[in-house]
Amino acid sequence: MTTGAWHHLRNDAGARAAAAVLAAAAACAVLAPALAPYDPTIQPDPVALRLLAPSWQHPLGTDPFSRDVFSRMLHGARVSLGVAAGAMLLSVTLGTALGALAAVMGGWVDTAVASLVDVLIAMPRLLVVIALVATFGTLSPWWLVVLIGGSGWLTTARIVRAEFRDHLQREYVVAAVALGASRWRIIRRHLLPAVAPQIAITAALALAAVIPLEAALSFVGFGIQPPLPSWGNIILDGVDYLTSAWWMVVFPVGAVTITVGSALVLADRMRVAVGGEEHEP
Amino acid sequence: MINSAVRPAAAAVVAVLIVLSAACRGADTGPSGGVLVVSVGADANSIFPPFGVGTQDRVVSELLYDKLADIGPSLNTIGDIGFEPKLARSWEWSRDSLTITFHLDPRARWHDGRPVTSADVQYAFRVWTDSAVGVAQRVALSSIDSISAPDALTARVHFRERTPAQFYALVYTLVPLPAHRFAAIADTALRDAPEVRAPIGSGPFRFVSWTPRARLELAANGAYYTGRPRLDGVVFVVAAQGATVAARLLAGEADFLEQLAPPDFAQLPADGSVRAQPYGGFDYGFVQFNLRDAANPLAPHALFGERAMRRALTMAVNRTTLVRSVFDTLGRPAIGPFSRTQWTADTTLRGIPFDSAGAAHVLDSLGWRDANGDGVRERNGRPLAFSLLVPASSRVRQTAAVLLQAQLKAVGVRVNIDQVDFNAWLDRAQRGAFDALVGAVRTSPSPRGVRDLWGTPGPGRGAQNWGQWSNATFDAQVDSALAATSTDAVRAHFRVAYQSAIDDAPAIWLYEPRLFAGVHRRLSVRALRPDAWWSGVASWSIDPAQRLPRDRRAATTP
Amino acid sequence: MARRLLRRFLHTAVICAVVATSVFVLMQFAPGDPFATALDGPDVPPSVRAEWRARYGLDLPPTERFVRWGIALARGQLGYAASRRQPVVDVVADALPRTLLLVGTALLLGFAAGVWIALLQTRHHRRWQDRVLGACTLVGVAVPEFLLALVAMTWLGARWHIFPVAGIGSLGDAAGWPLWERMIDLAWHLALPAGVLALAVASRVARHQRAALLGVMREDFIRTARAKGLGEWDVLRRHALPNAIGPVIALLGLALPSLVGGAVLVERIFGWPGMGQTLFDALLARDYPLVVAAVLVATLLAVVARTVTDAIANAVAPRRATGAM
Repeated sequence: MTTGAWHHLRNDAGARAAAAVLAAAAACAVLAPALAPYDPTIQPDPVALRLLAPSWQHPLGTDPFSRDVFSRMLHGARVSLGVAAGAMLLSVTLGTALGALAAVMGGWVDTAVASLVDVLIAMPRLLVVIALVATFGTLSPWWLVVLIGGSGWLTTARIVRAEFRDHLQREYVVAAVALGASRWRIIRRHLLPAVAPQIAITAALALAAVIPLEAALSFVGFGIQPPLPSWGNIILDGVDYLTSAWWMVVFPVGAVTITVGSALVLADRMRVAVGGEEHEP
Repeated sequence: MINSAVRPAAAAVVAVLIVLSAACRGADTGPSGGVLVVSVGADANSIFPPFGVGTQDRVVSELLYDKLADIGPSLNTIGDIGFEPKLARSWEWSRDSLTITFHLDPRARWHDGRPVTSADVQYAFRVWTDSAVGVAQRVALSSIDSISAPDALTARVHFRERTPAQFYALVYTLVPLPAHRFAAIADTALRDAPEVRAPIGSGPFRFVSWTPRARLELAANGAYYTGRPRLDGVVFVVAAQGATVAARLLAGEADFLEQLAPPDFAQLPADGSVRAQPYGGFDYGFVQFNLRDAANPLAPHALFGERAMRRALTMAVNRTTLVRSVFDTLGRPAIGPFSRTQWTADTTLRGIPFDSAGAAHVLDSLGWRDANGDGVRERNGRPLAFSLLVPASSRVRQTAAVLLQAQLKAVGVRVNIDQVDFNAWLDRAQRGAFDALVGAVRTSPSPRGVRDLWGTPGPGRGAQNWGQWSNATFDAQVDSALAATSTDAVRAHFRVAYQSAIDDAPAIWLYEPRLFAGVHRRLSVRALRPDAWWSGVASWSIDPAQRLPRDRRAATTP
Repeated sequence: MARRLLRRFLHTAVICAVVATSVFVLMQFAPGDPFATALDGPDVPPSVRAEWRARYGLDLPPTERFVRWGIALARGQLGYAASRRQPVVDVVADALPRTLLLVGTALLLGFAAGVWIALLQTRHHRRWQDRVLGACTLVGVAVPEFLLALVAMTWLGARWHIFPVAGIGSLGDAAGWPLWERMIDLAWHLALPAGVLALAVASRVARHQRAALLGVMREDFIRTARAKGLGEWDVLRRHALPNAIGPVIALLGLALPSLVGGAVLVERIFGWPGMGQTLFDALLARDYPLVVAAVLVATLLAVVARTVTDAIANAVAPRRATGAM
């Protein structure tokens, strides 16, 4: 990222707020064991203490198993954000690699990657992941990262390929080639740094896409296995009680919405900082 | 029907129409009972009796097709005591009980007006037993040798052997089918023939239309031989999401829901427009242990091969708490391999009481101790852990599994919940590729099913005994019970069999839900039969003062 | 032009072949078969399962099955959906129009609303209208669709009786109503599911459209238009929008599959049995002829949608033609 864009981003209140929210969420996830007042899997009394409304003892109420929702939300942030971050890293790395490969190699490699993108982009991602989960049975969070990340690299690949091709025609690259620089060196020293802001934007967008996907997957029963809490399966536990125990749904959905929203705002602001699209004439 | 802006006007128009149509109907064939709308979560798969399997298949096919005779309110399955005539007006037994002669009701007609004859009974027998057709339940008829037809209204069933429940097995499995309509279709093509998706029946309702996964409509059979049903029609509306199925009833878009889930009770409207009507229930749920190794079926399971381990785990589970948490007051702890609604049920059996200190003591004495302080017991370096297979399709079983996991954790047992979709669950259960699973069965009035579920796997028994539990006392007593002809003897044998199953603990007997149907106040309903809520639908009706536009039929009965 | 179309067609055919093959291979690893539920009863002997499997050719080795099925598919025979007891063609013919209606309505409404919101936002750039609408569209993108659907179903449907809870049409003598009344009835039932999806589409479109409009507003020809004395609305609508709408349309074409994916849960919640639900059920039932058919339909739809949206985008703003891939 150029220093100008970076400077612009640092002075942008919206970007700072979004980054702060994401950082706070990440901090909750990391510090969950220290912050959570209760063990997220402990069921003190699943008959008398189930579905208690928020109170001083249980700031976000209890769930149908009498577990503390606040503690589960904190630990759920670990799982949900962990899976999301892992899947995001995987999909962005894969996407960058394949997009760069297609652009630099050209020829049949380019055709193959483009066709692969064409094939995969036609599939609804939720259904692809459901199909894979149904095929391979229960999945650990690690496998979920692989599946979700492995199905999400298309956007990054498209953008990186387009950007690379654009830069490959520019004078400084042509000059570098003429000077006899190796392909690998050109990619590392020139192309990747030039495209880095675009990759950062797709990373933020990928994060915004993955968190709701985990929630939807849990909603149909194929998400994180109990008793491990995730925002998605907290919603699932509460969805039958939508009208009678609102706290079971409102808080996790709020968490998903705020996190996704922050990631989107950050992506927007980065785009503005890089391209200056939003400046008035 | 109408967009919200024009609703008041529409309501006025509708009111006038209702008054008009009521006036018109005055001269009609008699009081019309309105249209019953049933909200269901799963659509029927096949509504043709031989191919139906699921509950919804049975509901629709039993409204379309009459049996020869129906079980009475006592739900007795031995001999023919209490059975009520349906298509067969009367029947008599031969002296050796190997032949039953049915006299068909001469008034009985197929929905196209043709009479029901003994040829239809013969044709049905061919359909059920011909392997080219491939009916799944044909084993139930294996004791029948043949069916002869001395005349058009007499069907004579010849049995190979006498069994106490031979009458029940016959009339509950074999339903007369219209030979004139289907006999021309080759047996191999019958199952997938388009005709069986719009079948002609003999029952109180006839088929109107079926939009798969959306709705299925039936209309009153005006020519029904014991009189036209009061309802003008029955419509089943389908939604895959549980919340939607309940919401339809609560909003008044449907009149009836087979089973209210525990969370639905909190939502029942304050104005009393929907009430919950209890009607027993034939389900029970359990945690089944696999007594064989999940990878090698010849070796005993490292944990559950031991009886003391199975009993200790049973002892560690507080089923009262579990049931209260899952069902509130809408369920009871199960007793053994049966449902309390079955007539062979026995509530005086000795269960394994909840005693977590006792369970810990037994586990200690078996050598399972938590030496490294991680909260999980181990023996020879192997932790006391197993996986619990749960189908993702059942919220109740998932909830039970999570509660169970926490309860067993308290005594140092680690349970890994393995939640997979139903198809994968069943596949692994059938292959024995599991440690333990959360299962649930819907039993029938007949206690026969217990032999398949819990009998030693082998010819004639144990087809669904996925845990491979084997107990000679249980097998012998169940056999004796199923061969006994007096109800007292049947009960006595089952008592011993059930007790041996409880003592040997092939499973933790978890819960028995009490079924509550959701009934809208529009609808007046008679008592619901615990095994088949739909058995009296023909006599239900919609309050004339609360009729809606949907009670008007496009086509009146012929 | 003809050559380009031919290339596109060949390309699509190759994609379809790859998709069908990979789905077929994947389904071989999935445990269970289409009869799991149908044959799960105490009275069913294992021999029946073998008979049923043989009947639908499931007992053949995978390679032979693949060849047979490939030949049939090439002849245009989609096969038989054993889990539904219907030919695949019938199942798709039932479900596809419903999905097209639902997604099509949601796209049109959402696109129109999104563009309109973006125009408003640009008109009042950096004022409170822009910020409020921006916050709304941000939430619209970030909230999970299934939750919106559940909330709409519970309150707008079940509690307040404004719209039907679920279903594809009224009961009773609806089949005999005049055409206009049936159309109103359909629209009334479509309102909630299409509305929820449209909200999601509108939020996405508005965000992209706003960014694109702001980008165009900096350019010289806008300054010229303003200098000619045109009002701000006219500048926006007549000059900025036509130049900024192309990429958004192209983007919409790309987003269609994810929209269909999101529609799965919306279809389930509103009892609207379209392609999403059909595919979901077929996956769980291991009914691979139906899965392959549904996936192929989705692929074709995606390709067609992209071709059409790319063409529109190019026609609207030729100088901003989007690249291939």
